[in-house]
Amino acid sequence: MSTLVLAAYILVWPALTAVVLAVMCSAVVKDYRAAKKDNRSVV
Amino acid sequence: MFQLSAVTTALLLLAFYGFTFLMTLSIREKKENVDGFMVSNGAVGFGISAASMTATWVWAASLYAAASSGYTYGVSGPIHYGLWGALMILCIYPFGRHFRRVAPKAHTLAEVMHARHGRSSQLILAVSNIVGSVISLTANFTAAGALVEILTPLSFLHGVLIAAVGVLCYTLWSGFRASVLTDFAQLVAMMVAAALIVPMVFFATGGIGALDQGVATLTTEQANFFSGEAFLEQGGPYLAAVLAYAIGNQTIAQRLFAVRQDRIKSTFITATLGYAGTVIGLGMLGLLAVMVGLQPLNGDMNNIIPQMASEYLSPVMVGLLFIMVIGSLSSTADSDLAALSSLVMTDIYGKNLARGKVNPRTMLHIGRITMVAATALGVMFAVSNFNILDLLVFVGALWGALVFPVIASFYWDRITNRAFTASVLVALVFFLVARFELLPLTGVVALVMEIAAAIGAAVVFGFMAFGLFGKRVGFSVGAVAGVALLPLILGFLRDYPTLLGSLVSYGVSTVVCVAISMAAQERFDFSVIDQRVTEFQMREAGTPPEPVEAAR
Repeated sequence: MSTLVLAAYILVWPALTAVVLAVMCSAVVKDYRAAKKDNRSVV
Repeated sequence: MFQLSAVTTALLLLAFYGFTFLMTLSIREKKENVDGFMVSNGAVGFGISAASMTATWVWAASLYAAASSGYTYGVSGPIHYGLWGALMILCIYPFGRHFRRVAPKAHTLAEVMHARHGRSSQLILAVSNIVGSVISLTANFTAAGALVEILTPLSFLHGVLIAAVGVLCYTLWSGFRASVLTDFAQLVAMMVAAALIVPMVFFATGGIGALDQGVATLTTEQANFFSGEAFLEQGGPYLAAVLAYAIGNQTIAQRLFAVRQDRIKSTFITATLGYAGTVIGLGMLGLLAVMVGLQPLNGDMNNIIPQMASEYLSPVMVGLLFIMVIGSLSSTADSDLAALSSLVMTDIYGKNLARGKVNPRTMLHIGRITMVAATALGVMFAVSNFNILDLLVFVGALWGALVFPVIASFYWDRITNRAFTASVLVALVFFLVARFELLPLTGVVALVMEIAAAIGAAVVFGFMAFGLFGKRVGFSVGAVAGVALLPLILGFLRDYPTLLGSLVSYGVSTVVCVAISMAAQERFDFSVIDQRVTEFQMREAGTPPEPVEAAR
């Protein structure tokens, strides 16, 4: 495994974490908006 | 090693648990609905559900164990912990969608087994779920004590008590609803920390320039991405446990029954990616630790992450790491409390003590008393130095033995209560013989065990394929896996009793369950489950449990 590949292998996971977190935050905002629109609790 | 001051620690913990408690006030109802207390309204949105599933599955032990795996097995170590843990979430969702279709108003899997088979099957599953959640709760309280002890001037006992009281305070009133809501905030803290800490430590240890020197310190096995040693000792047993842990954990079942029915797939795929990124990423700290030659404090692998943070990060980032671990253990502990309360409310009180004549007020009291009792039990085990994780060996085997009977009971109308119960008990006996070598693993005994293990491996791969691609592919993959693995397993797996025991548990329960079911002539009508598994408390008019979109 070359140095660059190893570096990418180590750093790709925090990048994936950041992307998934962004997706979840966006979805949670939608959940809150839908709940507010229907006048109900989000959970 | 750098430590946070007592005042900083107190402020961080007060801010964390104070904010979490305030969040739950926003959803608190004077009279909580018992079904809402256990599974919310059965229509929780994708974002909240995915965040909750991820936060629940990432617990303190998974962060430490991934780093420990990276330190021990090198390059492939974090994968052999985090990837299989992520697959547990991924592989259960196809079955979860079917569970939900069969019993849309269920609260626990054991409750469905009660409707499908009767009391003995229900109680075997419920008790295994309860023991598993108590173990998890204790492990999280222990992790809180250990973290506080190593990173602050406070003692182990302080850490255990603060985490226990903090989690109980915000979960007690609204139960599962509070757990799901607060999971999102805890997840944000966790994932932000994970996304920042790993690259910061990577560059602080020298970045790309230091990698060549670091790789030179690894052994041949540690530098090999396809290390056989890492797979057989870490990855294999964990891969074998993929379906077992998913079936044995009420925290997953609760979320399957709580999320909007049309959002199960997206929720669980997103949670799989979130778990993989966070846990494998933090596992890389273990790999970096071995490359820089770090020696774990007192030889304890659980100290790797705090040591790396203390060595290479600023005090502010150490504070963020502290909150990350507190967030991970709190989100799992509150889920365990919600799981335990729903199991006792539904499976002990609802289906056995009250025998269907449920008083919602009494049921809610029982749920809250369960939470208090479980917290006390968890604290007691944590401070008494009782190594409760030893119990996980037995519970894991019980979950493995339950995989085939539980999943097949949702699809195959011939499985009987007798087949379910007998298969689990016989599989447990075989597991004990294989795992603890109660009989010498030689000759005929070893041969029988290895054949059972090959069947077990076929069941694991077959079920995974069956869930994702359907019956025909599932049977084909199972058959091919069994035939292909048998010559590899014979004469070889007897030297790896941990992996052998896990696979034997699957294989024996499958063979016994199928044999007894085929001998009986009973046929089950699945449509009666929906009539037997219902809400315990009617909702107020105007608050339907499913939105229109979900019912389509």
